[in-house]
Amino acid sequence: MTGKLILEARQLSRSVTLPGATLTILDGVDLQVEQGQSLAIIGASGSGKSTLLGLLAGLDEPTQGTVWLDGVEITALDEEARARLRAQRVGFVFQSFQLLHGLTALENVMLPAELNGLADPRQQALEWLTRVGLAGRINHYPRQLSGGEQQRVAIARAFASRPKLLFADEPTGNLDTVTAGAVIDLLFELNRSAGTTLILVTHDHALAERCDRRIELRAGAVVNH
Amino acid sequence: MSRSLGFAGRLLLRHLRGGELNVLLWALTLAVATVSSIALFADRLQRAIVEESGAFLAADQVLTSPDPVPQAWLDQAERLGLRQARGVRFASMSFAGSAMQLTAVAAYGAGYPLKGELKVSAEPFGAEEQVAQGPEPGTAWAEARLLALLGIGVGDQLELGAARLRITRVLVGEPDLGGDYFSVGPRLLMHLDDLAATQVVQPGSRVEYRYLFAAAPDRLRDYGDWLRTRLTPVQRWIGLKEGRPPLATAVGRAEQFLLLGGSLGVLLCGAAVALAARRFSEDQLDAVAVMKSFGATSGQVLRIYLALLLYLGTLAVIIGELLGLLLQHLVIWSLGDALPKQLPAAGWLPWSIGALTGFLCLAAFALPPLLRLRALSPLRVLRRDAISAPISTTLSHAAALLGMMALLRWYGGSWRLTLLLLLGLGVAAAVSALFSWLLLRGGRRLGMQAGNLWRLALAGLQRRARSNYLQVLVFSVVLMLLLIIIVVRTALIDEWRRQLPEGAPNHFALNIAPQSVEPLRTFFASRQIAAAVIYPVARGRITAINGESPLAAAPPDQTQPENYGVDREINLSWSTELPTGNRIIAGVWGQSVAGAEVTVSLEQEFASRHGLGLGDRLTLRIGETELLARVGTLRRVEWDSMQPNFYLLFQPDGMERFPHTYLTSFYLPPERKLLLNELLRAFPSTSVIEVDALIRQIQRIVSQVTQAINLVLLLILLSGLLVLVASVRASMEERFLENGLLRALGASRRLILGSLLAEFSLLGAAAGLLAVVGAELALWGLYREIFRIAPTWHPLLWLLAPPLGALLVGGTGLLVSRRVVSTPPMQVLREYG
Repeated sequence: MTGKLILEARQLSRSVTLPGATLTILDGVDLQVEQGQSLAIIGASGSGKSTLLGLLAGLDEPTQGTVWLDGVEITALDEEARARLRAQRVGFVFQSFQLLHGLTALENVMLPAELNGLADPRQQALEWLTRVGLAGRINHYPRQLSGGEQQRVAIARAFASRPKLLFADEPTGNLDTVTAGAVIDLLFELNRSAGTTLILVTHDHALAERCDRRIELRAGAVVNH
Repeated sequence: MSRSLGFAGRLLLRHLRGGELNVLLWALTLAVATVSSIALFADRLQRAIVEESGAFLAADQVLTSPDPVPQAWLDQAERLGLRQARGVRFASMSFAGSAMQLTAVAAYGAGYPLKGELKVSAEPFGAEEQVAQGPEPGTAWAEARLLALLGIGVGDQLELGAARLRITRVLVGEPDLGGDYFSVGPRLLMHLDDLAATQVVQPGSRVEYRYLFAAAPDRLRDYGDWLRTRLTPVQRWIGLKEGRPPLATAVGRAEQFLLLGGSLGVLLCGAAVALAARRFSEDQLDAVAVMKSFGATSGQVLRIYLALLLYLGTLAVIIGELLGLLLQHLVIWSLGDALPKQLPAAGWLPWSIGALTGFLCLAAFALPPLLRLRALSPLRVLRRDAISAPISTTLSHAAALLGMMALLRWYGGSWRLTLLLLLGLGVAAAVSALFSWLLLRGGRRLGMQAGNLWRLALAGLQRRARSNYLQVLVFSVVLMLLLIIIVVRTALIDEWRRQLPEGAPNHFALNIAPQSVEPLRTFFASRQIAAAVIYPVARGRITAINGESPLAAAPPDQTQPENYGVDREINLSWSTELPTGNRIIAGVWGQSVAGAEVTVSLEQEFASRHGLGLGDRLTLRIGETELLARVGTLRRVEWDSMQPNFYLLFQPDGMERFPHTYLTSFYLPPERKLLLNELLRAFPSTSVIEVDALIRQIQRIVSQVTQAINLVLLLILLSGLLVLVASVRASMEERFLENGLLRALGASRRLILGSLLAEFSLLGAAAGLLAVVGAELALWGLYREIFRIAPTWHPLLWLLAPPLGALLVGGTGLLVSRRVVSTPPMQVLREYG
């Protein structure tokens, strides 16, 4: 690896205490990702994929280990500081889209820029909605859009905040094969043109094959780089 | 900061447009509208009543004193901008030729009467006219019977002490002829400037100096506060309450009802706000998680939602107050003639009450659930169960309870009312909890068998037992409050009608000579006039209580102004029958107490004011004779019944030996008023006091207040319905999904609608039953403690409330949830799945 490291995890563990037992979800994961790379995290249900994604993106705190995101040790930060970091450098695409149903497509895309006080959120959002092919549906509410369209709005929202890292959690999990293919094509194309680093969780091996690198989790441990 | 404020504004607009905030906004708006319209109306009505009732005191407040008060007191009134008039009342002999007569004289200076009008006529029993001022100096106005007794007419002179006064008019009515109904003789009204010339009032004379004041209520209150610390035990500061007890009771109860209505309205709207806010905050969980994942900090989330609530509150206050103003105008317009022609404008207080209620409701009911959003973990975007450490519900419940208490106390103005209502709510909550627990246990066996409508409904109830607990609680509280307000309204109106029925006595005849009693009976009978019992009246003074001076015997904090009967003469009567409207609360009526000359029955409040109980010894001076009496019974008296009533009522044994006259009351319809002249001509020594104007005033207040009460009832019903809607909507998502599934599996519309109706009706019936329990308890307390009406049980409620609950809740539930079946199952599953 020769590029600049944008994400690094060392001995990352996460366990939960249950009555009478401790359940280890992640067990000593080491990981390095270079800027501009795309990485697929694969594994069966319950293997710890989403937990790893949450820790790497700073949504959760590990039981042990450290995470550096764009040179910042996020495991040493509190939630407030992590939130500020996410605002500047991280975008998300979720399996269940997570669009706010009371807001139109345009307002959903404007949301991160508005929260972070960026200039001209409306213009930015319009541009990104045009790029995902939804220029004609900006005033539609999520429930008036198909699943594929909703995920395209979510993708526009993720890119609109100009993140360095994009985390996608099973982005095609709720879509049929044809729609999923189109959404993935869009995701990879935008990722390439924006120079974003993409971390993608999936159990779909075909989707994983399109990434630069893959790691597989089994019972919370990396079994295959 | 400004970024969050701007964003919150946009978020508010988007949510309003999207409809998520509708219930919350309308709940708040209705709370503000209810409170402000009731407050506005009550405030204006109160001002109108005070304005009008001043006409019965000749002033807004009167200060009476046996000696002139210090000039500084009057200067202080002047400084506070009070209008003033002063006068002196005393008894004196008046002469005309060889005739003489003990006369009740009132001498008033300029300005009298400050409120109301004097009624006079040009000749005895002539046409009445109303004048706004008393007689000029050098002249006097005399009651017709004084002229008859002295054998003079209008234009003649009479002598009063060293002065001669020319009679220019016949005195028919004075606005302040009240309280001391039973004056010593016929009345004479003269100018204060002539008083010195009479030389009648000397140091030590028994004289009542009267200082009349009129001003805005707050100024009078200020002056009253200033004055109260300076009053001596023999001086009295008399307002409507002291001067006109029947009127004051009617007004007081009406005020209490309006306050109660307002409090219940606030409670209901509070519940609606709480439910809607909970629902909204649950809706916002995902939104906040997404915002946080995109980098919103907890502080930012807090600022956004605080600002959102602030905007929402402001919007609700503006709409609510406008709506309140409109409603209040609507009521005033619909009342038409029942209201005084010139209703004074409302003060600033009702407006601020509305606004403050809105924001307090938000702070107590909506803030706690939204505060939880601050602590939400962003991990929820990946795992829906991640809520992170929630703020304890105890805190938000405590906030709501405290908020409710603050609102109730502040709005109802009484801790007693507040605690009573909270107690009722507490009982309803506890019984609801028990009911839900039983349902959870008992319903387990039924399972979910989708074939039968009732089984499906029962299964639904049982599955949602936990959320049902909240729903049953909310439904039963709403129904309980509705029952309370309906029952109290009916009881109050009945009580008024019962006390002042059509044909209630509206005239008192007094100073009836013993030999005139039988002729008077014949007079009434021959003219078909319904008269009450004719009671003997003697005047006496208490000289000792249990052998001690009466002022020393009274409880220490009650030696203040109202020692009626101790420092002046009061009316005594005797009777073998207990007068109607009197109720014995201690002792046995008709039984003599051993060891005393006579047995006396005391009015309960009079007894407690003087620290008297059963068996106590009272020494009285009647004329020149001392009389030792023992207390045999205590009575409760309905003072507002317009029947002759007495503080001291003796057993007749030997009382006849004291000098006495007789007293009765009778009813005359307005068109027969001229009979009064006939009566006075036939019985010249008799005085008649007309209280028909006072009764008309009370009846008018009752009808005004009844209308106001109906408005309150309507608003409360609306608020209650809103709570029902908010509560049903809160459980909608779950129902949608479940019924979508059932329909996808082939259940018919009929089955689903039927089971929904059955489920809501069962909930409603249960809530109705619980509501009766809470309502009966609260009503019992309200009657006893607030309205002072004898508590009764309401068997009809027990019968009607469960079906009423089933109907209301079932209907609302079906109306709100009909979308469950009208939306295609596919769409339901896609939206909520």
